Amino acid sequence: MLECSLIKTRPDFVINVEFSVGSSRLGLFGPSGSGKSTLLSCLAGLEIPDSGYIRWNGQSWFPPPLPLHRRSLGYLTQRERLFPHLSVAENVLFALNAATRRRQEAWVQEIQSQLRLKALWDRAPRELSGGQTRRVALARALCRKPGLVLLDEPFAGLDRPLVRELIAIIKLWQEELGFTLLAVDHDPVVLEALCPDVIAIEKGQVIQRGSWQELATRPASPTLRGLLDKI
Amino acid sequence: MRGRTGLAFAIAAVILLYPLWGLVAPVGPWQWHDSHIGSALATSFSLTGLALVLVVLAGTPLAWSLRTAPEPLRSAFEAVVLLSVLMPPLALGLLLILAFGPDTPLGGALLRLGLPTSNSPTAFVATQIYASFGYYLLAATAAFEGVPPELEQSGALLGLTTFAVFRRITLPLARLGLAAATSIAWVRALGEFGAIMVTSYYPHGMPVQLWVNLQDQGLPAVLPLLVVFLLSALPLPWAFHFFSRKRRRA
Repeated sequence: MLECSLIKTRPDFVINVEFSVGSSRLGLFGPSGSGKSTLLSCLAGLEIPDSGYIRWNGQSWFPPPLPLHRRSLGYLTQRERLFPHLSVAENVLFALNAATRRRQEAWVQEIQSQLRLKALWDRAPRELSGGQTRRVALARALCRKPGLVLLDEPFAGLDRPLVRELIAIIKLWQEELGFTLLAVDHDPVVLEALCPDVIAIEKGQVIQRGSWQELATRPASPTLRGLLDKI
Repeated sequence: MRGRTGLAFAIAAVILLYPLWGLVAPVGPWQWHDSHIGSALATSFSLTGLALVLVVLAGTPLAWSLRTAPEPLRSAFEAVVLLSVLMPPLALGLLLILAFGPDTPLGGALLRLGLPTSNSPTAFVATQIYASFGYYLLAATAAFEGVPPELEQSGALLGLTTFAVFRRITLPLARLGLAAATSIAWVRALGEFGAIMVTSYYPHGMPVQLWVNLQDQGLPAVLPLLVVFLLSALPLPWAFHFFSRKRRRA
């Protein structure tokens, strides 16, 4: 269970949000520059909130800020880069020590097969296309089975068939492993396909929370209505 | 265009290599026996090796920390480092002997601890460290700055401690720059003459032995020492250079 209440000052507005989420998939939706990515960044520990709290399964992540490596976290962005000095296999297995690799052999094989990584396994990152890189980055983020997965526009720039494929895989694994997923995407169609529930954010404030159906029938603001028209 | 570039390289190479023509100058038969090649080589390589190890051990974590040090601490420290780099070698030697000499309180204390601060291996190593540390630090800092911070961040988000991020991400990605930094420090320390001359005339390292041979026996005793010096000192920086070129192309 993720519980958070955060205040973070940005140059143009103040992010002030409070929500909790269990083992499910929750989308963060809103216009560009409304503070969604900053919110994920604060949850990941890359930015420090001004005040508030972040608790994960009773463990305090803030305050004080818990070091990044002690958070059970998978974080994936559109800018994700692979470690250039390591092969695809070494990138994917990066977070696992030798003993865990042996224990998780079946899981690693599932990752390999679902994300079609077998043929890429020994390649260097520079030999991969954009889509292949994103698949490897997803595998790397989920390989150690984190409790909380944060996706910040991870499908931007990918073609539709690959996005559909990745969404199906993430949904399958979320149901299998039970992690909490928070996703941000500018495309409501993509976000709706991934997350059954959504939080709408405008200028750093939560303006509505519910299912996509609820948002579509009773949007809390004209801006939100405009964005939802795309669905 | 390619032909012109090649010609420019050829001309520059000839200019740089031309001084080696001096090796075939008619100075008389080379004196291999009285050149003290063995002892000078042993002194230079053993003590420079020790100095290099200390420079790398102390300089690497410092360079790593310097990259993320807050201002104005970073700028102030870099100014200090630049001061040490820009110091003329002879002036460095004079300042070292004035600050650490046996007649100074610090030099006297070190002497009582069995660490004589002039004409000793301790003085030799300490002078080489002063002469090369700044060069290593600046080059190593540049190497660490070439590592994208987001990759280190990814490592931390994947559960790595700060030290593990350094060992598994930062160090491998900065290794070519660190090799270059080590190479620069090696060349700088090994070839140091002006400062060593003042602080540690004894034991004779290669550069001082060259000077002594020139004074006592003339050029026939200098040239064999010079050839051995170049042949023994150059492989390390050459190896670093070619290794890094190969890795960059790979």
